[in-house]
Formats: sequence, C-alpha cells, structure tokens
Amino acid sequence: MDKYNNLEKARKRYIPMSETMFYILFSLKQERHGYAIMQYVKELTKGRIILGAGTVYSSLGKLESDGLIGSAREEERRKIYAITPLGSEILHEEIARITELYNNVKE
Amino acid sequence: MSDRKIVLFSAFRYLLPSDYENWLEQMAADGWHINRFRQWSSIFMVFRKGEPKRYRFVYDPQVSPRKEYIPTYEQFGWEYLGRMASAHFWRMEYEGERPEAFSDHESIVKRNRRTIAAVSVSFIIFLVTVLTIGILLLFFADTLSNPDRTQLVIAEAFFGVIMITLGVVMVFLRKNESR
Repeated sequence: MDKYNNLEKARKRYIPMSETMFYILFSLKQERHGYAIMQYVKELTKGRIILGAGTVYSSLGKLESDGLIGSAREEERRKIYAITPLGSEILHEEIARITELYNNVKE
Repeated sequence: MSDRKIVLFSAFRYLLPSDYENWLEQMAADGWHINRFRQWSSIFMVFRKGEPKRYRFVYDPQVSPRKEYIPTYEQFGWEYLGRMASAHFWRMEYEGERPEAFSDHESIVKRNRRTIAAVSVSFIIFLVTVLTIGILLLFFADTLSNPDRTQLVIAEAFFGVIMITLGVVMVFLRKNESR
C-alpha cells in the first residue's frame, strides 16, 4: 500500500517533468556524481543544456528526498547517486508520455 | 586614493539576488574585491583595490545545506566566499560565456523564493513584537506610567516601520521572483 502511495505521489509531483529533471533522472541510470551529470547532459544535448551547480544540487536533493534516486556511495567528498526502482518507473512513464506526444504530432 | 572601500547596508540597496550579484560583478570589474562574506556583511563590508577581474558571483540562500553542498559547487569550479546570514556566496572568474549556477527558470524562481522565506522570518518576528506592544498599549495603558507609555509608543513606531519595510521588500521580491 505504501509503495502504491509513493508511486502516486511521485506521479503527481513529477509527471510531466521539466527537461532538467528528466535529464538528471535519465543520467542516473548509471551511477554518477553531480559534476558528471552536468558533463553527460552537456554531451547528450550537444552543449545546449549546461546544468548549473545550484540547479544540480537542489534537483538531486529533491529527487533523493522523494525516493527517485538514492546515494550509491561516496568518493572523495563526492556523493554518487543512482536511480531507484521508483525513479525508473517514473522515468518510463514520462518517456511513454513524451513518445505519445511525439507520435501524435509527427506527420 | 584609498585602497579600501567600505560599503554599508549593501543588502538593503540591492534587494534582488540577481541585482546583488551584478553589483558585486561590477565592483570586481572596477577592481574592488571582497574575498570573504561574513554574518554582518549585509550591513558592513570592506572591498580592497586590486586588478579588475571578470567574476560571476552567486547568491544562494540555503538555511541548512547538506554536506555535499560545498563540494558540488567546488567541482563545478566555484570558489566559496562564505555566508551572510543564510545566503552563501560563490564566485568564478570567466571569459566569454557567463557561467550560471541556476541553469533553468525553475531554479531561479526557487532561489528567489528562498530569499523571500528568509525575509519572512524577520517579518514574522517584527510582526509578533508589534502585536505584543500594541496589545500592551491598547489594554494595559492605564497600568503603565507616563514615561513607560511613551517608551512603548516609540518602540511600537520603530518596530512598525521596520515591519512595514520588510513587508514591502517581500512584495517587491515576489513581483520580481523570475529575475
């Protein structure tokens, strides 16, 4: 029941989600620290999105407190995060929503 | 020419975090530098003359930052300058594109709302004080001596002015929260 409630709460809070949140969550399918997330997103978007330190810090805090990501380990004062099963579920639902959107508008 | 410049009440002259950052950036461009922010910097701060530099400053209110707060910013190349009450200050030297710590609209609005929250704490403290003195004056005026009553009226006016000012500041910040 608790698990179901968490999922419902996360849906309300994250779907639809901002581009920043989407890319941060997506990049944590692999373990990464804050700076590595910025580099990865910059590469994915060919330099279009350059996440700032404050944005990354606050987004990670929000995602972690809502249980979408978790702390995997720590390395030289750097906290390394990874997506949780709840985060993956939300990410997949968001991907499905964006895909539907895309399919509806193309030709 | 003096190599020191003292600035009083800076935080009251530039209310918006982005205006405050821009002012610091302009000071650095004119060769006026501050390397450390302290509790009372909002009231009294000293700049020292040096080489003009192109710095991007960041004003980030964080009441209780998590332990990865400072390491995260440092990894991105920001230099920590300290805190003034709950506002943390960062700077980065740059050429070309100006670096941003808040890279989307949502983060900027949130940063500005944290600033409003910080002001609202002071506002509530003054509000409670004004109400308490007001109640004393309204219901217990007869039991007070004349000098006491005068003192209370002066205190009420003084705290009232501060409270109203803080209220005006909050409205101003709210109206400009996306800047």
